[in-house]
Amino acid sequence: MTEILNILALGLLLGGIYALVSVGLNLIFGVIRVVNFAQGEFVMLGMYGALAAQVALGFDPYLGAVLILPALFALGCAVYWLILRPLQGEPMMQIFATFGLLMLIQNAVLAATGGAAFSVNSSLAVGSVALGPVQVGTGRLIVLIAATVVTGGLAWYLNATWHGKAIRAVAQDRAAAKLMGVNVQRVYTISFGIGAALAGLAGCLLAPLYSMTPQIGINFILPAFAVVVLGGLGSVAGAYLGGFIVGLTEAFSGYYLDPALKHAVLFVVFIVVLVVRPQGLFGHAGAEEVGLREDG
Amino acid sequence: MKMDEIRPTSGPAQHAAVAAAARTLRHEAPLLAGVLAALLALTWAFAGDSFALNILATAFLFGGVATAWNVIGGLGGQFSLGHSVFFALGAYMTANLVLHAGLSPWLALVPAAALAAGAAALVSWPVFRLRGPFFAIATLAMTEVMLSLSTYFDALTGGAQGLSIPFRRGFWNMIFVDRMSYALLMLGFLAVCLLAMIVVTRSRLGYRLRAVRDNEGAAQAAGIDVLRVKLAGMAISAALTGVGGALFLMQVRVVDPPALYSLFDVGVKVALLALIGGIGTTYGPMLGALLVIPLESWLRAELGGALPGMNLAALGLVLILTALFLRRGIVGALRGLRRPAILARRPRPAGEAAR
Amino acid sequence: MLTRRQFAAMAASAAALAAAGRARAAEPLKIGAVNPYSGGMALYGDEVTRCYELAAKQLNDAKGGLLGRKVEIVRGNATSAQEGIAAVEQLVGRDGVEGLIGTYASSISNAASEAALNYGKFYWETNALAAGLTERGLPNYARSGPSSEDFGKRSVEGVLDLAAKRLGKDAASMNVWLEHEDSAYGTSIADAQKRLLEEAGVTVGIGAHSYKAIDVTDSVLRAKSAAPDLWVLTGYVGDTNLLLRAARDQGFAPPAIMSVGVGDTKETLDALGAEFLEGVLLVSYPRADISEDYGPGSNAFLELYKAEFGRDPVAPQGMTAFVGAKMLFEAIEAAGSTDFEAVMAAAKAMDRPEGSYETGYGAKFSDQMQNTRAAPVIAQWQGGEVKAVYPTAAASAEVVNLPRA
Repeated sequence: MTEILNILALGLLLGGIYALVSVGLNLIFGVIRVVNFAQGEFVMLGMYGALAAQVALGFDPYLGAVLILPALFALGCAVYWLILRPLQGEPMMQIFATFGLLMLIQNAVLAATGGAAFSVNSSLAVGSVALGPVQVGTGRLIVLIAATVVTGGLAWYLNATWHGKAIRAVAQDRAAAKLMGVNVQRVYTISFGIGAALAGLAGCLLAPLYSMTPQIGINFILPAFAVVVLGGLGSVAGAYLGGFIVGLTEAFSGYYLDPALKHAVLFVVFIVVLVVRPQGLFGHAGAEEVGLREDG
Repeated sequence: MKMDEIRPTSGPAQHAAVAAAARTLRHEAPLLAGVLAALLALTWAFAGDSFALNILATAFLFGGVATAWNVIGGLGGQFSLGHSVFFALGAYMTANLVLHAGLSPWLALVPAAALAAGAAALVSWPVFRLRGPFFAIATLAMTEVMLSLSTYFDALTGGAQGLSIPFRRGFWNMIFVDRMSYALLMLGFLAVCLLAMIVVTRSRLGYRLRAVRDNEGAAQAAGIDVLRVKLAGMAISAALTGVGGALFLMQVRVVDPPALYSLFDVGVKVALLALIGGIGTTYGPMLGALLVIPLESWLRAELGGALPGMNLAALGLVLILTALFLRRGIVGALRGLRRPAILARRPRPAGEAAR
Repeated sequence: MLTRRQFAAMAASAAALAAAGRARAAEPLKIGAVNPYSGGMALYGDEVTRCYELAAKQLNDAKGGLLGRKVEIVRGNATSAQEGIAAVEQLVGRDGVEGLIGTYASSISNAASEAALNYGKFYWETNALAAGLTERGLPNYARSGPSSEDFGKRSVEGVLDLAAKRLGKDAASMNVWLEHEDSAYGTSIADAQKRLLEEAGVTVGIGAHSYKAIDVTDSVLRAKSAAPDLWVLTGYVGDTNLLLRAARDQGFAPPAIMSVGVGDTKETLDALGAEFLEGVLLVSYPRADISEDYGPGSNAFLELYKAEFGRDPVAPQGMTAFVGAKMLFEAIEAAGSTDFEAVMAAAKAMDRPEGSYETGYGAKFSDQMQNTRAAPVIAQWQGGEVKAVYPTAAASAEVVNLPRA
């Protein structure tokens, strides 16, 4: 019994990690339908940013988020404006361009750091907590809580604030949103910036858990797409749950089948869901078509 | 829509199709012959320079695979980023036949192509229901699955350590000491791929593929069996890619999952080459390869040593700039220069067509 | 019908004739260094080649070079087997190297050395581990450093001579869990470990994980359920650190932990902290701070490295590379030429006892040209520092914290 609880806990915590990493991608791909393969690199930059903040200013990585978020927001806006705005409505070119961006960012960091693995420690993410019969790493628990808070915050933002509604309006129907007085390009730019900033936040919170290398971003990007698609495009809650689906799938297949096969199992499940229910498990039918229309 | 109408198997329709193909070839033959003659001359010009010949051989090989990709990616508009699966299957099949059945690699090319085509049919059927970026992401997921499985189930793949073909010189072993032979071998492969691309482009399948690419809904409404058309295109593309994988195996003689399934070296690379050269054009991917492969090699030699990774960063920048400014590729840009008044048709992959 | 050897010999003599025309005294003796200088292994590829360059510099300063010519190391970047072939083509064809040295990864070494044979150039392997590299019997190939087999053997000694003894158990009652990353590197070492341990009668459980995994807690839980006496990790820095962290979080505390190949650098110390790492055994290349008795000149190497590069060595692979280059230089000197057959013959004739080099290696090549006197050492984290503890000749400290408190 303890064993299953352990695996369950592991899956949920892992789900928290995936949900946190994917919440930014959900906004970018799920809502405004821009295919961004460099999203994992934003997470990596967040990690290295936390490292820089600790080395230069002695900041705890959680505190370093205060600096990382605006920096990545700015980077996201710049990336959108320069690279993705001209490619609006052309998802395949977006894939190429963001792949190129992935290579550029990853190797720029490699050139700058030489490739050594770095660690960042936080005074908060130390040790583990006992929840009943199960041991839970403090750092991971923090990530899970953060994922929940951020998801809730994003849902609130999209539903309750004018800006958030503008984002949803643009995703639903660009032309109509324009008619309603929404500055479409500004909405896209800001959304992308927010998505990048959220990825950076994930990086800061994950930094105490991993030894960071320039290649670590690429390990996150495909699972992140799996999360967003599995959970349901356009649905913030769906992406949150998608994280747990991915986390639990990996945890159970890793423990009961073989850790070397869990990746394969996850992606087979992903392909099956994609084929059988392309709108994801919690999305509305036809959700996958939204936003890919080419219009004004 | 019956299979017959895509590829007639009997009667007057078949005669007409053969006649059409013959006309095609006569039409296109001069240009193809010219291009191949030019490449042959280029190869001969570097005779004795193994370094250059090796790069040319690699460029021809990946030019061929990119041309194969173009059948489904450019003509059909289905941007697969998972062609490394077919590449790997071709390599593994050939390796097993050579190592365990003592077969000549030349003969093994046929089963390699068949396996790849079979895999394409099997795997594409569910995945072709997806549009645009979802299709691309699904093909990436497929690559990951195959990478994991190839590493784990090592009976036929040699697992993580891979397979290696021992050196045994000879034409029938497809193992040569001099680089000229490899360059000529790969040029032969490129020629076959170009020929296939030309034949498909001018065939009914080619027209149907383009119809599907430009507007899938309308094509369906016009009575085209979209799934069949995509499958046929994918099977041809995969078969040629599988042969490419087999030739890669014979050139390098050491293959393992990270090399075969590599996104940057195979999966995304062939799409990249087609993009830079001109997606959907016949000679575009070949041009892309002839440009990028030597460039890559030069970047790796010049930049790779001093600051680690700068060569790949430069390549990433090239990719970004191409996607932004050179979407039609070099061939497309050249066409635009020649006839600036006529807007060259920009290939629009399925998924972004108006609804 | 020419054999490859004959073709190579012809190519070599043609090159020699061409070279004879030039003013040879002024020409540097170029040796091509095939290594990954970009991508995920860039750090190690660069480190290894820096140490070749250091060895060349030392030789040039001390003796004016080799065969009366200054030695120059020319870099050839290769991150895959195909790039390895291209690198050899470039180094031989364009840069005019007379031989090759390398290589951090086995698949690159495999392909590059075959390409080198086509030109009749020697391929001197200093670091790559796969046993198959020497088992192939390639006539231009020799490995100066340890193989995966040597790592396996040393791991087993760690299990039996160190851990088992201190736990008061004999081989038959020992239970070991081997956790390895699933690429060629981890698999080749783990295969050797498993075979040798089972031959010794030890109960072995084995688990594989991807070094790119986002989470490895499942691997830890599986190992935990086997309740091993010793947990052996063979991987890269990222996944080894992740495993250790997960073990700490999960309360997985086997009586002994051993990390093979990595885990002995600052990267792991920063990640886990000195307290947790106390007593963790390390099977790795001999470090620069090894005792002078065991590895004469290791202190001098450390000084030389720091003076040249202004930092501490990045990884112990470097010193092995340094020593490998030195061995190559000795072989060339003894052969009197860079002709690959002469160099290989000279290497085969080398007979230096263990403890001849900075790493504590000797030089005695088997029929398959594998140096039989090169072996990793076992060290241990003690008080935030890595101290060699085995073999006894190399030891600078006693074994502590075994079983782990």
